[in-house]
Amino acid sequence: MDFPSSLCPSLFTAGPLGTSDAPDLSFMCSWRDALTLPESQSQDAKDAVLHLATNLLWEPVVPGPLPLLPPAPDPWDPGVTAQDILFRGGYHYRRQPQVVLDVTEQLSRFLWDHGDIAFAPLGKLMLENFKLEGARSRSKKMTVVSVKRLLQDLGGHQPWGCPWACISHRQRRFSILGGPVLSRSVSSLLGKLLHEELTLRWERLLLDEAFTGGALAWVPGRTARVGQVVYPAGGALDKLCFQEVSLTSGGNPRVLGDPGCIQLRGPVRQVVTCTVQGETLLAVRSDYHCAVWKVGKQEPPTPLQVLQVEKGATGISLSPHLPGELAICSRSGAVCLWTPEDGLQQVYKDSETLVFRDPSPWRWADFTAHPRVLTVGDRTGVKIVDTQGPPGCGLLLFRGGAEASCQKGERVLVTQYLGQANSGCLPPTLHLVCTQFSLYLMDERLPLVPVLKWDHGLPSPPLLTRLLPPPSPGCPQPLLLGGQGGQLQLLHLTGAGSSTPRLAGPPQSLPSRTSSLSAFPLLEPKSQGQLQERLKAPTIGLAATATHCASVPVLLVFQLSEAGDVFFQPFRLHQDPEPPGDPRLTCPPPTPSWTPQAITRCSRWLEALLEVPPAPAVWVAPTFSHRRLLGRMEPQKDEGRAPRGLRAAMAEERLLQRRDLGSPPRAEPPPAPESGPQDELTERLGAAWEGQGAAWWEKRQGRTSGPEGRARRPKRRTQLSNTFSSLTSGLDLPDASSPPHSPNQTSSEARPHPTGTPHSQELWPQGIPSERRQTLRSYMAKLPLPKDTPGHTPTAASQQHTPALTGSRPHRKKPRMGF
Amino acid sequence: MSDFSEEVTKPISEDDQVETSVLTGTGMYFPWLQKHLETVVTGGKKKKDFAQTTSACLNFIQEALLKHQWQQAAEYMHSYLQILEDSDSYKRQAAPEVIWRLGSEILFYHPKSNVETFSTFADRMKNIGVLNYLKISLQHALYLLHHGLLEDANRNLSQAETWRYGEKSSSQEILINLVQAYKGLLQYYTWSKKKTELSKLDEDDYAYSTATQNMLSESWKTSVNICALIKTPGVWDPFVKSYVEMLEFCGDQDEARKILTNYAYDEKFPSNPNAHIYLYNFLKREKAPRAKLLNVLKILYQIVPSHKLMLEFHMLLKKSEKEEHRKLGLEVLFGVLDFAGCTKNITAWKYLAKYLRQLLMENHLVWVQEEWNSRKNWWPTFHFSYFWAKSDWKEDTDLACEKAFVAGILLGKGCRYFRYILKQDHQVLRKKIKRMKKSVKKYSIVNPRV
Repeated sequence: MDFPSSLCPSLFTAGPLGTSDAPDLSFMCSWRDALTLPESQSQDAKDAVLHLATNLLWEPVVPGPLPLLPPAPDPWDPGVTAQDILFRGGYHYRRQPQVVLDVTEQLSRFLWDHGDIAFAPLGKLMLENFKLEGARSRSKKMTVVSVKRLLQDLGGHQPWGCPWACISHRQRRFSILGGPVLSRSVSSLLGKLLHEELTLRWERLLLDEAFTGGALAWVPGRTARVGQVVYPAGGALDKLCFQEVSLTSGGNPRVLGDPGCIQLRGPVRQVVTCTVQGETLLAVRSDYHCAVWKVGKQEPPTPLQVLQVEKGATGISLSPHLPGELAICSRSGAVCLWTPEDGLQQVYKDSETLVFRDPSPWRWADFTAHPRVLTVGDRTGVKIVDTQGPPGCGLLLFRGGAEASCQKGERVLVTQYLGQANSGCLPPTLHLVCTQFSLYLMDERLPLVPVLKWDHGLPSPPLLTRLLPPPSPGCPQPLLLGGQGGQLQLLHLTGAGSSTPRLAGPPQSLPSRTSSLSAFPLLEPKSQGQLQERLKAPTIGLAATATHCASVPVLLVFQLSEAGDVFFQPFRLHQDPEPPGDPRLTCPPPTPSWTPQAITRCSRWLEALLEVPPAPAVWVAPTFSHRRLLGRMEPQKDEGRAPRGLRAAMAEERLLQRRDLGSPPRAEPPPAPESGPQDELTERLGAAWEGQGAAWWEKRQGRTSGPEGRARRPKRRTQLSNTFSSLTSGLDLPDASSPPHSPNQTSSEARPHPTGTPHSQELWPQGIPSERRQTLRSYMAKLPLPKDTPGHTPTAASQQHTPALTGSRPHRKKPRMGF
Repeated sequence: MSDFSEEVTKPISEDDQVETSVLTGTGMYFPWLQKHLETVVTGGKKKKDFAQTTSACLNFIQEALLKHQWQQAAEYMHSYLQILEDSDSYKRQAAPEVIWRLGSEILFYHPKSNVETFSTFADRMKNIGVLNYLKISLQHALYLLHHGLLEDANRNLSQAETWRYGEKSSSQEILINLVQAYKGLLQYYTWSKKKTELSKLDEDDYAYSTATQNMLSESWKTSVNICALIKTPGVWDPFVKSYVEMLEFCGDQDEARKILTNYAYDEKFPSNPNAHIYLYNFLKREKAPRAKLLNVLKILYQIVPSHKLMLEFHMLLKKSEKEEHRKLGLEVLFGVLDFAGCTKNITAWKYLAKYLRQLLMENHLVWVQEEWNSRKNWWPTFHFSYFWAKSDWKEDTDLACEKAFVAGILLGKGCRYFRYILKQDHQVLRKKIKRMKKSVKKYSIVNPRV
């Protein structure tokens, strides 16, 4: 194998995380990798590199992912959120917010809602251990309470939900007497357990490592156009499904028949697939079991082996070299290799972490370019271990420390061997290491020194990675990186033979499931909330396949959410019409818009989703029958339209809607937000809201010319902003005709705007420069405005506002005031 | 955000009786923690409106960059510059670096941007937040270099070289070294251009001697520039390579050897295969004795047993008289073929086939068996499966033949790979296959001759 003839210069310092004083040479951004030293390259070669760098883009065919399969019939509950767990009190002034688990509230709520569960065992315990029953004869009628009856009472009669509903005198008296004793023991016992549970939940909320690697896989079929999507289904994700899918000429997948299913004993956490020597294998990790199947082209999958992992499995990977071999790691720190010939064999065991002490029991293992050498990883580093060598020894491939210029608090989240899609585009010795901040590309021949480092900046843990074969020979290989929060990024890797692996172009982000919200029809607030929640569910699986459609490379990305939904999105490789060598003239790619088919697909999926019964609530507040109330409300003769509407809605048991109440009150703009002191933007927005923007601007111009104390910094800023204004001002701003970043706006003319955020574009005063207006508009669009503003039904808003947009704003060529 | 992290990891002493604080006891930092906290109304300090708008703007820029909307990003950048007026001094100080990072990226890709725009921006940024002066100068120079403007880049680096701010910190020193080294590299480029010109000149020409003189002085300058950096631990391949080339030209072989030896063997440096490769190539050029070459390659073999130089190493070992060397020669070949990227290396298979035959003829069966023992449970599926027999034969019959011979030797004539190739009726190769069958029968290690 060739080794890069000349590696990128990098500094090497040894030491712990975040301590090195040395400058981080990876401070340079994505374009650093585009900078090749003009060593032996001719002028043309450099141009080609630059051309490739600026024009490499996978453009989405539709603005967001679409559902592939109908939603599962099982209800789904999003589980606990930070809001449920954290302390919300505000009686102390704090300089900094702190993470405080709200045990008190949880406990009181528990005692309140589940008094039976909290106290009944206590009653039973006391019954067993105390002889509280006095002699019958000595009991006095009203002054002495029979403790036995009372405790029995506690177990059985505690009313659910409303503690006042039918409390007996006896219970009341007892609660006064026994309060001091009971409350202490209950709260101390329960409190401890509850705190433990809450900590666990909070940790899981911050990082849910169970689905590391992802539980979705694409198994290629006989041709490039057919394959199977393998995913877990069922409420507990314990049913492994194989859905056959064919790709149409447009790059869209078509589902063929019903999925084949295998019922498992536990939830599926990770699904891995690999095709070695024409044999396709599928490995599945559950919490305490791992299994491997052989997937045939025609026949159903045949199980090869099921392994039990007592301490809990954390990772599984299939060998890309030898069919059927797999590596498993467990929480105990052991890594095992399973081969069809020799069975299970422990190759590594260390309960301690590799580089420094870290309490996480998470371990990971993968293969390397040598079939008998594995990588073993934990939160602190990655080690190369020879399974045939003496146990325990090996070389560190990645060290969480100054060697890779790691930050303080940085930990390894997932690693992957990138030799799987061996295509000659990248050397088969590369490994990907992902932390919460950065992505590192390591070459096993050059341990400790990252060949490439890139700060991904994902706002959620990146636990899913997929490397795809190059779309066509000579093209860079796409690497998908998925955050648990649904964010997706795509990197283009290149560097075969004697060149260094590098990014072939700036990384790009792919739309997340939430960006598909605009493809769904407008709903009632409750259903809309349900839909939003569903689309926001964490991503637990990522798979992709690349084909060609009419000679254009197409990338199909599948994602699986925790709710069990499989979504897909096709991407086309952006083909530049301009000849190479003139990157100046490249036009931005056109913005995709929803196709009618996509919208039908979404509404059909939504219909099925709304039919799914909601998850049974853990506790329901007591309700009162409205029928009884309805009967009491005698209809009066001169009743207005509103009460009549209310009555009708109650009788039909449906939501009260605006039209039931007759003509809506005059639409008034919502009250202007209160402006904070000394904040220009708020002031300006406030003024704009009230239609006084122009006046404000004039006032402001008059004011800013006055004080000269702050003149220096603004001057600097003006100088700087001139750089950027030269790039923006000459351009006809695309704000009237759909800014490319929000596909919502293009679609809003054709169909109602579902999120219903009124943009109030017609309110822009004349004084705000157009480029600044664009910023403000985008900012406003992101503001958490009330979804159902009275008087502004979104349909009406978007219809009113669209025409007003074009007329009222004159084009401004010259920026002023440094904007 | 960064100051916030300390708060989370710090134990909390106040009001412990009511709430229990969560110490992320792992010491791990969660960039998304802030987002979770923002969903909960806490009694803490709320972000000021200014901070909210700037952070929203920053998000827009990052989003636009990831969508390759350079136009959009430039517009947002325009507004983002207000952060330079932030009243929070910590943020104000951190701002120039963020602005430089994002701004330079926008200007690098923006279709309307050009070298002048970039240079103006870089020059202004250098003087805002002086601490970034060196970093920005360096990147600016790289940008110019990338656009083929060697002279401008050189001027930039020269300016940066003389820059000082406050007390010289170690990080500043490394950056200055780096700046100087890049300057040296630029000098190398002009030097190597002159060298190619020189090769066209006649040696007896008058111009030749002045040109040589010129070049010598140039290389002396370069050595001053590069020397300091390559003493710092790191990967400095381009610098070392060019520096050694210049030294060699000047006839300073000893210095070149010293530098390469240090680069390869200094323990503070990372284990860089290239360091050993450069040293080996240098020694080869120098016509060093075989023992020296073997020593260098032995170390390279420890680091990268899959490197293509291993085949050269094998040839050297094969020629050696020492028994242990000849044994190592076999080990090296087996080692190369262990790797996934080398399975189709026909030269390696050819060498192995030839060497196996030779060793078995010389009765070194034990050596072969020793190597084979650790591989016999996985090589058959890795190399000699029915799948590979079919696909190798289809793709490259020569490779298939070499592999079939090795398979036959190691696994016996019953092996699937061998049988499959044997069955193929190939007109040109018929003779070769027949010969192969004969030698497999004779030498296969499965049924050793008594």
